[in-house]
Amino acid sequence: MRIHFSYQLIVSVLIASISVISCKKDDVDVIDPAVKNSVSIQFENRVGDQKLVLGTPAYKNAAGEPFALTTLNYFISNISLKKEDGTVQKFPNQYFLVRQADAASQVITLKDVPSGNYSEMSFMVGVDSAKSVSPVSERVGALDVTGYGTDGMYWSWNSGYIFLKIEGTSTAVPATVSASQSFAMHVGGYGGGWNGSAKTVNNLRTVTVPMTTKATVRGNIAPEIHLFVDALTIFNGPNKISLATTNSVHMPAAATPIADNYKTMFQVDHVHNDKQ
Amino acid sequence: MNMRMNLKRGLGGAGLVLGLMACHSTDQEAQPEQLFQQPANFPQPIYALDQNRPTVAGVALGKALFYDGILSRDGSISCAECHNQAYAFTHHQHDVSHGIDNQVGTRNALPIQNLAWASDFFWDGGVHSLDLVPIAPIENPVEMDEKTTNVISKLRASARYPSLFKAAFGSDEINGPRFLQALSQFMLTMVSGNSRYDKWVRKEPGGTLTDDEQAGLTAFRTKCSGCHTGELFTDNRFRNNGLFIQGSKDEGRAHVTELPEDRYTFKVPSLRNVEKTLPYMHDGRFYSLEAVLDHYAENVQRTENLDPLLMQTDKSGQVRLGIALTADEKRQIIAFLKTLTDDQFLRDPRFAVQ
Repeated sequence: MRIHFSYQLIVSVLIASISVISCKKDDVDVIDPAVKNSVSIQFENRVGDQKLVLGTPAYKNAAGEPFALTTLNYFISNISLKKEDGTVQKFPNQYFLVRQADAASQVITLKDVPSGNYSEMSFMVGVDSAKSVSPVSERVGALDVTGYGTDGMYWSWNSGYIFLKIEGTSTAVPATVSASQSFAMHVGGYGGGWNGSAKTVNNLRTVTVPMTTKATVRGNIAPEIHLFVDALTIFNGPNKISLATTNSVHMPAAATPIADNYKTMFQVDHVHNDKQ
Repeated sequence: MNMRMNLKRGLGGAGLVLGLMACHSTDQEAQPEQLFQQPANFPQPIYALDQNRPTVAGVALGKALFYDGILSRDGSISCAECHNQAYAFTHHQHDVSHGIDNQVGTRNALPIQNLAWASDFFWDGGVHSLDLVPIAPIENPVEMDEKTTNVISKLRASARYPSLFKAAFGSDEINGPRFLQALSQFMLTMVSGNSRYDKWVRKEPGGTLTDDEQAGLTAFRTKCSGCHTGELFTDNRFRNNGLFIQGSKDEGRAHVTELPEDRYTFKVPSLRNVEKTLPYMHDGRFYSLEAVLDHYAENVQRTENLDPLLMQTDKSGQVRLGIALTADEKRQIIAFLKTLTDDQFLRDPRFAVQ
């Protein structure tokens, strides 16, 4: 009787577990690249371990110079996402202008991203050379050369976009140089070469950042990649910039050390893969 | 002409449109007006006309903008302020141009003519497309000192412009690309190719050159055409012509390329209408063509990147700076240069302020 009961139990447990397994099988994580969703990328600008707030004179660079920022703008383009199997998904012809003064601009959304597990992201800081010489009729949205107002993200006298602009004030800036002790660093220069002319300084930089937590795009998951962008790196990167001596940069050659610095200022802090 | 166009626009029936098209192929008068005219002796244009072909309404809009101070911060300065038709659209008798609040720049305003054949713009070639040119004077603090974004806002708010944009582009949306393309359309039509020299080249009525002018042309071809090449009288390149480095010590093209080999080089300007575009050089230092030729004959300086064409080695192995010119040759060359004056262009009502 007891034995018989045990057999029954075992059989029923077996049946139950089989049905559980088969049930799980229906629920298994099938990645179908034909199923697409969006990926958003948030650029959270910081200064070292402080929140970046425009106008706050709370920051100090490696040279020990206190400073406040009034502007931090940069172009992001040519984004690509790399899957764990090494294949790369590109997002061409999408250009974004991230402005510290505009919170909405700090979140970029990529649409129609195929399902997959993405473990690395690349993007360009700036506007690539092909787009930099394209017809004005193609310069719409973030690329409209007439659209920047006082932000002035375009060099009218030396045709080209300003890839990154950082402006502010510092008591380290000699008053003899700027009565208001303000500094301005404008980084541009896509390499020239138009109309068969000579190549010029190229300050386009491509940033590649790994994602320890993969962005797992699914039909019901639209990942959010959260980047920390440390503006202090613009001064404290591989090249140490002192505001006492470098406070007005408006030409590509002088801007190269700054571009090399900001290339290292981006890192993925975390990824949200919340189910919708 | 306008009536026909309006008629065509108003027609809905395909059959009627076809009928008109058929009419076009046989009736020469019904051909659309050639707004952009390529002189027979000119090369192919550089500007991509197929991307922004001038239309009657587009040119009208561009002209309205060209003559409107709305492009400047305080409404006081239009394009025409420094680009006056009578002087081939230059700033007459100003060595460097005067802009807003009567501030002065560092360079002499270049003529606006034959821009479809130009590859780079401004003395340093810093702008690589005609469509991008207007932003530079608009945003220059000593010229119009305005933000182009604000110009667009002012145009949107104006009573005048929405209908002009609608006529030109099919809807009354006013945006940056349309604004720039309309200005380009107007400037593209500003073709100067009917000087006495042109008529002589094309063997047209009125195309006669005097003996002096012909001698001047011969001398010019030997001594000047190394840089002032072809029918546009420029090779569109940047060269150091040996000026004394003075004043603002302008480094020219190096200002945009930052290349040492470009220091003190400037655009080789076209010589069309040169009689009217005084003063001369990037900083307007020479007030007469005589002064220009005296410079080339006697005053060329061996500065960094002096153009090799201005350093000739003579038979005895001596390096001679500049161009050997006799007094007669100078006089004849100037006589020839004046045959490049195109009175039809300088008085053409299509380009004139209304």
